[in-house]
Amino acid sequence: MAYLKIAYRNLFRNRRRTAITASVIVFGCTALVIAGGFIESMFDGLREATISMGLGHLQIYNEKFLDQDEERPLELGLDDWERIAAGVSKIEHVRQITPRIDFTGLLSNGEKSVVFLGTGVNPQVERDMGFQVAIREGRDLSPETDGAPEVLLATGLAKSLNVHLGDSLTLLTTTADGALNGIDVTVCGIVTTGFAEYDARALTVTVDSAGALLETSKVSKLVVLLDKTENTDQAFAALQGLLTSRNWPLRLKKWIELATFYKQVVTWFTAIFAFLGIIIFVLVVLSSSNTMLMAVMERVREIGTLMAFGTARTKVIWIYVLEGALLGTLGGLLGLGVAWLGILVINAANMVMPAPPGSTEGFPIVVYKVPAIFVSTLLLMTVTLTISSVVPAVKASRLKIVDALNHS
Amino acid sequence: MENVIELQGVSKSYALGKTIVPALDDVHVGFEAGEFTAIAGPSGSGKTTLLNIIGCLDKPDRGRVVVGSEDVTERTLPGLAELRAKQLGFIFQSFNLIEVLTAYENVEYPLLLRGISPVERRRRTEELLRRVGLYEKRKHRPAELSGGQRQRVAVARALVGRPSAVLADEPTANLDSRTSEEVLGLMQELNAERGTTFIFSTHDARIIARARRVLHLVDGHLNGKGD
Repeated sequence: MAYLKIAYRNLFRNRRRTAITASVIVFGCTALVIAGGFIESMFDGLREATISMGLGHLQIYNEKFLDQDEERPLELGLDDWERIAAGVSKIEHVRQITPRIDFTGLLSNGEKSVVFLGTGVNPQVERDMGFQVAIREGRDLSPETDGAPEVLLATGLAKSLNVHLGDSLTLLTTTADGALNGIDVTVCGIVTTGFAEYDARALTVTVDSAGALLETSKVSKLVVLLDKTENTDQAFAALQGLLTSRNWPLRLKKWIELATFYKQVVTWFTAIFAFLGIIIFVLVVLSSSNTMLMAVMERVREIGTLMAFGTARTKVIWIYVLEGALLGTLGGLLGLGVAWLGILVINAANMVMPAPPGSTEGFPIVVYKVPAIFVSTLLLMTVTLTISSVVPAVKASRLKIVDALNHS
Repeated sequence: MENVIELQGVSKSYALGKTIVPALDDVHVGFEAGEFTAIAGPSGSGKTTLLNIIGCLDKPDRGRVVVGSEDVTERTLPGLAELRAKQLGFIFQSFNLIEVLTAYENVEYPLLLRGISPVERRRRTEELLRRVGLYEKRKHRPAELSGGQRQRVAVARALVGRPSAVLADEPTANLDSRTSEEVLGLMQELNAERGTTFIFSTHDARIIARARRVLHLVDGHLNGKGD
């Protein structure tokens, strides 16, 4: 307790120097907490966006679909998908299920044809599931239409064919039996996927239109939405159990297995955050080591006095290590407070980040207050300052008493 | 009477560049309980070196240091630290109080090292502070005390652990003559009251005159062995 008292009071001995070191710690804490909170919010936003852009939490395929190439469209699709969906819907945490048909073909305006990547969806169910369609012009698909089937074109595809709302186009593809087939569609909306490359090729029709074009009742997959992303593993296990018990030749995939872009972003930003942490660690170590060394040099005679009275060298080390740890903890707490205020200010400012590479949309800057980041940053600062104080502390403890007492 | 501390054939020299400078040469001296002894000599005569070796702050190159009945020459550094904590007290020329501790905490510190209980610590600390006339200033830090007051705190700190001997290196060198008299008078009173051995170095004739025993050190040789 006496050493803690000495260590604590020593902090206020040279207030200016302590303030300078504390400001480095505060800066480091603020940078780490805000960067960490921002990255966490990006991960969260990207995760939910990835899921709500149509990935869902789980996807159900024919067991061979992911391993084999199809010779004909939907050869490895789901045949009896409505029965499967009915079974899956009874699983805990499952909110909704929707079928999807993925297909490719040519889109023609009569003068020019371009390759497309098509998706057949149930627009009403997907709207109910909260799956977002970023409409730039027009409206979303209607579940049923009296006239020609409708199509949503991605911006790049619409531009390349110079088509507008209400224009008529022809979709050409190979049917499930291998024959050529085509249907006329009317453009009801222009959308963006957020990815420029995908916008150049993507279109969406209703699952009925896609089925009619491919002349099949099969679908490519079932997309399952859960009540919460956190329940993915639990629902996955339950669904896996259902497939096994019913002996259905199906395969399940979690969203994380399919979200390649998300995983790349997480890996990339985690590395950036770690790099930032290392830089701040080095910065704080360099700054605080110097401070602690100066503290030792200033108190040489005092150290000699403590040792003259019988203070063990380990106790002298302890005083300086405690001083470092206290400085790290107090500076860290102050830094967390500043970071907290900074987060409030940033979140209130409603700032928007420019569109990232490959994307067409910017996103709002939101910084999460993540308890784990707050705690780990405080620990990092305490440990860093403790480490920084070890060398000066050992140096202090190795002073010869008589030399220390004569130090001026 | 048995010696509290005894030096037998102690020599010590220092390297000054390539030159070896002898500081003490074959010193034999013993100090009995209750002595009030001055080690006198000009600057550079080896007074501080002798006091450092008596106080187990430094080791001799040759010879033996006996504290009580134990030869402590070969003790390890932690062993010497323990010995100092239990048996010796120190008063320094520049007071050497711990700046961040109050007068009370400075006096209490040696008792913490000895693992004395909080109740006993408080009793002894307050008693010593009253005795040196600084109880009212017990919450003051050294920077808030005068030179004389600081040295009185240092005297209390040296005595609070009830050591066998108190070693004082030029204890009045940084004090004016009136305050020096006061501090020296206090040391004499405490020596008489408690029977604690006081050994102090000085070159001040007025202080030498008040010592009951004076040892003259010249060029590392102890001349005046007598009382």
